Amino acid sequence: MNERRTAWFLVAVLAGQLLLLSIQAPAAEDGGGSNFLESSMLRGVAPLTRGVSSVMAKVRGIGDDWKGREEMAAENEELRRRVAEMELEVMRLSELETEVERLAEALDYSRLSGRSLRVADVVYADHSSWFRTLLLYVGDQPASLNQPVISDDGLVGRVVEVVPHYAKVQLITDRAAAVGAMIRRTRRQGVVRSGPRGLELAFLPQQADVRVGDRVVTSGIDGIYPRGLPVGIVTSVERGQELFYDITLEPAVDFGILDQLYLLQDPTPEATGEVEVGQGDGVATVEEAAAGDAP
Amino acid sequence: MPLLRFAAALLAVIVLHSLGVWLVPEFARSIDLFLVLTVIYALGGDTLVGLLVGLVAGLTNDVLTGSLFALHGFVDTLVGYGLARLAQRLVIDRVSGAFLVSGVAAALQQVLLAGLVLLLLPQPELPEPMWIAIRAGGTGLAAAAVLLASRNLRTNLAERRQRKAQRLHLD
Repeated sequence: MNERRTAWFLVAVLAGQLLLLSIQAPAAEDGGGSNFLESSMLRGVAPLTRGVSSVMAKVRGIGDDWKGREEMAAENEELRRRVAEMELEVMRLSELETEVERLAEALDYSRLSGRSLRVADVVYADHSSWFRTLLLYVGDQPASLNQPVISDDGLVGRVVEVVPHYAKVQLITDRAAAVGAMIRRTRRQGVVRSGPRGLELAFLPQQADVRVGDRVVTSGIDGIYPRGLPVGIVTSVERGQELFYDITLEPAVDFGILDQLYLLQDPTPEATGEVEVGQGDGVATVEEAAAGDAP
Repeated sequence: MPLLRFAAALLAVIVLHSLGVWLVPEFARSIDLFLVLTVIYALGGDTLVGLLVGLVAGLTNDVLTGSLFALHGFVDTLVGYGLARLAQRLVIDRVSGAFLVSGVAAALQQVLLAGLVLLLLPQPELPEPMWIAIRAGGTGLAAAAVLLASRNLRTNLAERRQRKAQRLHLD
């Protein structure tokens, strides 16, 4: 191909890509939508990243096996102590749950958290670069678009791209992401989004009662995330230029140490929170995953 | 054969990139291995090859990033083509030259990406100048290292072949 033809080819390739970009741009907040080319390429690339991830996990496993016996014994003792503490906490919480169920029944209130969780392995996580990404291996049962993704500590994001066995996740720290949230102490609602200073809680009027250290949880108003999932903790509250506060949050989740996450399943009338088994992955309840945030 | 070689190189880049991100969280921010691949092919001086390698490498990078699909594809295509045109006019033989060219290409890529993101997204996040510099340096070093390694390998192979031929001639 001569240079002139190559130049025309370049123009055609660039125009095609610009068209693809402009089609996706209006849906950027939904992760840009899905297209055949991206899905096909993701199908090819994802297994490679999974291969690397599983090899590295095995290498780390071997390293862990080399831990000294004394260290293991101390860790074992600490874990036993924590299990005992947790058993007490579970007993206390189950009593509280019974109480809540009794009150909810009296108020005819249907529970939002009758959802189960499915474990998914993180096969690729780039949380630090300009374009943040998370790829999950979800097994035989495919994920669905907009499915919330959480960790033991709180909300991680939602599924924006689905291919067989894998799902791409938009993190809540992504600039295009927005989460309906509220201050747990006062129930005052706002929107959590990523800004220049990190995670921010926006649209909280200056007459609202908000303090450093307040816990922020999902409010459920966005129709994607159920209410009550931990999002972060307020780290600074400043008076903004308009009517709202400038509030920054520390995410509840440490995005640097994610290796296993949970996909929040759609609620079913029969959902009881029992453990399901799918491709060897455990399923727990929302309450278990968010236990760290229990009052 | 060249296609197979490219496929193997792309595969190696994906594996190395995943490994890098797994080991060092800041890896993807500091080095763009997909751009390194584009630079190495584009420095051959064939514009069509530069363009196509940039396109495929960029789109593969897009699969592994969370923003719009074809952002890197668009920019890397441009960079691949531009570098190939440059290589037709300049002889970039020294490793320091390759370092400079790939560093500038990485910085240019970031600027073009920022421009595209500003045009397309309502609340774009832009890269910090410090990270643009780190990425330019990291990508430049990686490209220079790969070029140096491949040149040494080629020289060694050529010498071995020559020695073998001489031995055959003596027999």
